[in-house]
Amino acid sequence: MPAVVESNDEVTAEAKPRKGWFFNPYTQILLSIMLSTAAQLCLKKGADKSVSEIWLGVEGLRSGWVWLGIGAMVTSLFSWLYGLRFVPLNVAFNLAGLVQVLVPLACWLLLGERIGPTRWCGILLVCAGVFVVARPLMRVEEKL
Amino acid sequence: MTPLAFLLVVISDCCSLAGQIFFKHAMGGANEIKATKLAAGVAIMAVGFFLWVGLMSKFDLSFLYPFDGLNRVVLMFAASIFLKEKMTLNLWVGVGLICAGILLVSRS
Repeated sequence: MPAVVESNDEVTAEAKPRKGWFFNPYTQILLSIMLSTAAQLCLKKGADKSVSEIWLGVEGLRSGWVWLGIGAMVTSLFSWLYGLRFVPLNVAFNLAGLVQVLVPLACWLLLGERIGPTRWCGILLVCAGVFVVARPLMRVEEKL
Repeated sequence: MTPLAFLLVVISDCCSLAGQIFFKHAMGGANEIKATKLAAGVAIMAVGFFLWVGLMSKFDLSFLYPFDGLNRVVLMFAASIFLKEKMTLNLWVGVGLICAGILLVSRS
C-alpha cells in the first residue's frame, strides 16, 4: 500500500510547477515576454551598428548585441515553453500580445525613438487586432 | 517605406511562420524525418531572422515591430485556404484592425 501512495505522489508532483516565485509559471510567462522585448531592442542596437545594406542582415553577427539578442530569444522560448505547461493557453497568448505594446514603449523610453500620434494609434490598432484573433488562432495552431 | 522593404517584411514574416510549423512537425514522426524537418525549420527561420535584422538597420523598431502582426493575418488566410478554416466575423474584425493599424504605422 505505501508504495502505491508514493508513486501517486510522484505523479502529482510532476504535474505541478516547482516551488518558489521564480518557478511560478506566470513569472516565467512574464519573463518570456520581457526577454523577447529585450531581444528586439538588442537586435536593433546591433543592427544599427553593424548592418550596411537592407538585405545584409547577416552582417549583424559581427555585433555582440545581436548575439545577446539571440540569447535572449532562446531563453525566452524556454521560459515560454515551461510556463505553457501550467498556464491556460488563452491567457498565455493574450499576455504574449502585450509584446506589441511593450516593444514600442521600450523604443520610446530606452532607444529615444520619437513616436507620433499616428504611429501610436496604429500600434494600438494592431494590438487590439492581435487580441481579437488570439483565441481562434490558438485553435488553428493546434491543427497546423 | 518602399515596396521592396514591405516585401522583405512580408517574406520575413512568412519565413518565421513556416519555421514554426516545421518545428512543430519535427516533434512527431521518425528520427530521420525529424532531423530533416528540424534542419529545414532552422534554415528557413534563419533566413527570416536575417531579413528582419537587415530591415532593423534601416527603420525605427517602433515603426517595424507592428508589422509582426501581419504574421497572424498570413496565418489566418493560410488556415482558411489550406485547412478550410471558416473565417468568422471575429477573425475579419481582427484582420481588419491589424491591417488598419499597419496602414497607419506605415504612414507615420
